[in-house]
Amino acid sequence: MLETFNIRVILEYLPLYGSCLLATLWLSGAGLAGSLGVGCVACALRTSRFRMLSLPAAAYIESIRSTPLLAQLYFLYFGLPSLGVPVSETTVGILALTLNSGAYMAEIIRGGIQSIAPGQIEAAISSGLSYLQRMRAVVLPQAIGITLPPMLGQAIVLVKDSALLSLISLMELTRAGQILTSERFMPAEGFLTSAVFYLMIYSALKTLTVWSRKRLIYLHTG
Amino acid sequence: MIEFRDVHKWFGDLHVLKGINLHVAPGEVLVVCGPSGSGKSTLIRTINRLETIQKGELIVDGMKVHDPRTPMTKLRAEIGFVFQQFNLYPHMTALENVTLAPIKVRRIPRREAEEQGKEVLAKVGLADKLYQYPAQLSGGQQQRVAIARGLCMRPKIMLFDEPTSALDPEMINEVLEVMRALAHEGMTMIVVTHEMGFAREVAHRVAFMDYGELIEIAPPEEFFARPRSERTRHFLSKILTH
Amino acid sequence: MWGVYLEQLLQSLPFFLQGLWMTIAVSGLSLMAGTAVGFLWGILRSSRRRVAKALIGAWVDVIRGTPFLVQIFVLFFILPEFGVHLEAFPAAVLALSNLAACFICEIVSAGIESVPHGQREAAVASGLNGYQQLRHVILPQALRVMLPPLVGQYVLLIKDSSVVSAIGVVDVTRVGWLTVQRIPQGILVFGLVGLLYFAICYPLIQLSNALEKRLGRSARR
Repeated sequence: MLETFNIRVILEYLPLYGSCLLATLWLSGAGLAGSLGVGCVACALRTSRFRMLSLPAAAYIESIRSTPLLAQLYFLYFGLPSLGVPVSETTVGILALTLNSGAYMAEIIRGGIQSIAPGQIEAAISSGLSYLQRMRAVVLPQAIGITLPPMLGQAIVLVKDSALLSLISLMELTRAGQILTSERFMPAEGFLTSAVFYLMIYSALKTLTVWSRKRLIYLHTG
Repeated sequence: MIEFRDVHKWFGDLHVLKGINLHVAPGEVLVVCGPSGSGKSTLIRTINRLETIQKGELIVDGMKVHDPRTPMTKLRAEIGFVFQQFNLYPHMTALENVTLAPIKVRRIPRREAEEQGKEVLAKVGLADKLYQYPAQLSGGQQQRVAIARGLCMRPKIMLFDEPTSALDPEMINEVLEVMRALAHEGMTMIVVTHEMGFAREVAHRVAFMDYGELIEIAPPEEFFARPRSERTRHFLSKILTH
Repeated sequence: MWGVYLEQLLQSLPFFLQGLWMTIAVSGLSLMAGTAVGFLWGILRSSRRRVAKALIGAWVDVIRGTPFLVQIFVLFFILPEFGVHLEAFPAAVLALSNLAACFICEIVSAGIESVPHGQREAAVASGLNGYQQLRHVILPQALRVMLPPLVGQYVLLIKDSSVVSAIGVVDVTRVGWLTVQRIPQGILVFGLVGLLYFAICYPLIQLSNALEKRLGRSARR
């Protein structure tokens, strides 16, 4: 196989890989931004005292967590047009990533807020801080610190999940491998090159995760 | 300054305060002791309404704490509270911990709040720890920051909930030293503690609680020499043998 | 209009159940193989064998850092270049087992490291050999920490198995994809697909949560 491994072909397709790398980053970045928003809202509703709000949020979170992303993706991809909603593949792809990841984000945020010791809130109450002041000065800074590593973990998952968008023929890194396979019959070159690009994104995000965990040392004691 | 009139509190079925009557005068130092689960922590937590009472009247600094309509944020600013577990904010330095409430609640300009914060931290012996995070401080130092946090609001009352129970023995004294100095300045204080040496030396009165009742309350000379109740005697004999 | 489609869908229910059976077979086999290999790797990884540690660590990183879809394409399309021709089903099980082994390996080594060092010292002091230390002292305690994430990992495995539909394994997702070409009602068809996954995964997630509550509480004491 080594003698058949064709560097020249890879170089020839490098511009394609470059634009596909950007596409992967853009698709998962959009999914990340969207899921942060959806996650905050879903978490707020989920922890609400009113069942009218908390039940639908819980149903959304549990049904997302209990079904595969690919099924969710096909549900939107085949389902929206059958309802007469015309949407582009890109929109469907980002929507699927956002809704899927949003459910996990909601749980991460909930865990972060719950992990703050009750004494922290009591201390803030005792100094006479109002609800909003407590949230802003005491709860949120700690929650963000605690949730940063799992959120970065979720970002890693998002990048990998975006590979599934190739199955609805969106251009991104995995699709580039498929193109090389079908045009030149070179699956090894095609998919291994995709894999290398994914590993580059992964190691960048992993370095960031390690760094964020180190910064958290202050929060673990005290 | 603080007045309990027939105060009751239940946790579900559990009757934790059973008709407390108590008056604390301005400048008085009251030490409350008693076995764990006797309701002494609950007692001082009702004063700034960390716990709500269900029956009776509780008047602090002229305000009706038992009345749900009383705006507590204002009153809480007048009461410093020191916790057993310190509860310092781990993401803030010592100085940030003590200036947060003055800036946010008292609306003091940051400059001024920091000046005052440095002063108070110096007073508790931590002039060199202004920019350390709680995790970088020892237990005794953390508790002194917590006391400074209360003092920075220039409170009329300081409440201490077992301030030395979570500390290693060699750190207890540095915290008691700060509290002693505070008492001599004439601060109104209620201290829940088992440090009987501190009680004997600093308190104006010592109270003993058991099963949600105030069993006995007397000046320390009398309290330690001639306890009137059998339960008080029993309790004292257990903790004084150490 | 939906009535007609619903009837057609109900007629193809046996087809969906066959797909469900395939999903269960692929993930069940991978679960068993992945757990066995994952434990082995995890134990090696928390041992003092440096070469094994480095190799396993690197492999886990490669697998964790790339999409499962790419892994399965690599396996399915590249092995034939070595003269190894795998059918879709064994290729799917192989890829999924490897994925599971990598994640389980991390859970196992984290579990082993969560056992206080004094436990191993005590076991050494009472003269147990390496295997006995692991079997009687370390693993029973580590299992408490490992069980909830392990069950959670099995849920991920079942969900990830949907990706093998891309190489033509006829699992529930693939059945949905084939059906929707005939019955063009995506909401209905993939609603049913989702329901079938939900029926397996939801109870498992609840189990994982319950285990976490029970074991987490007793472990803290």
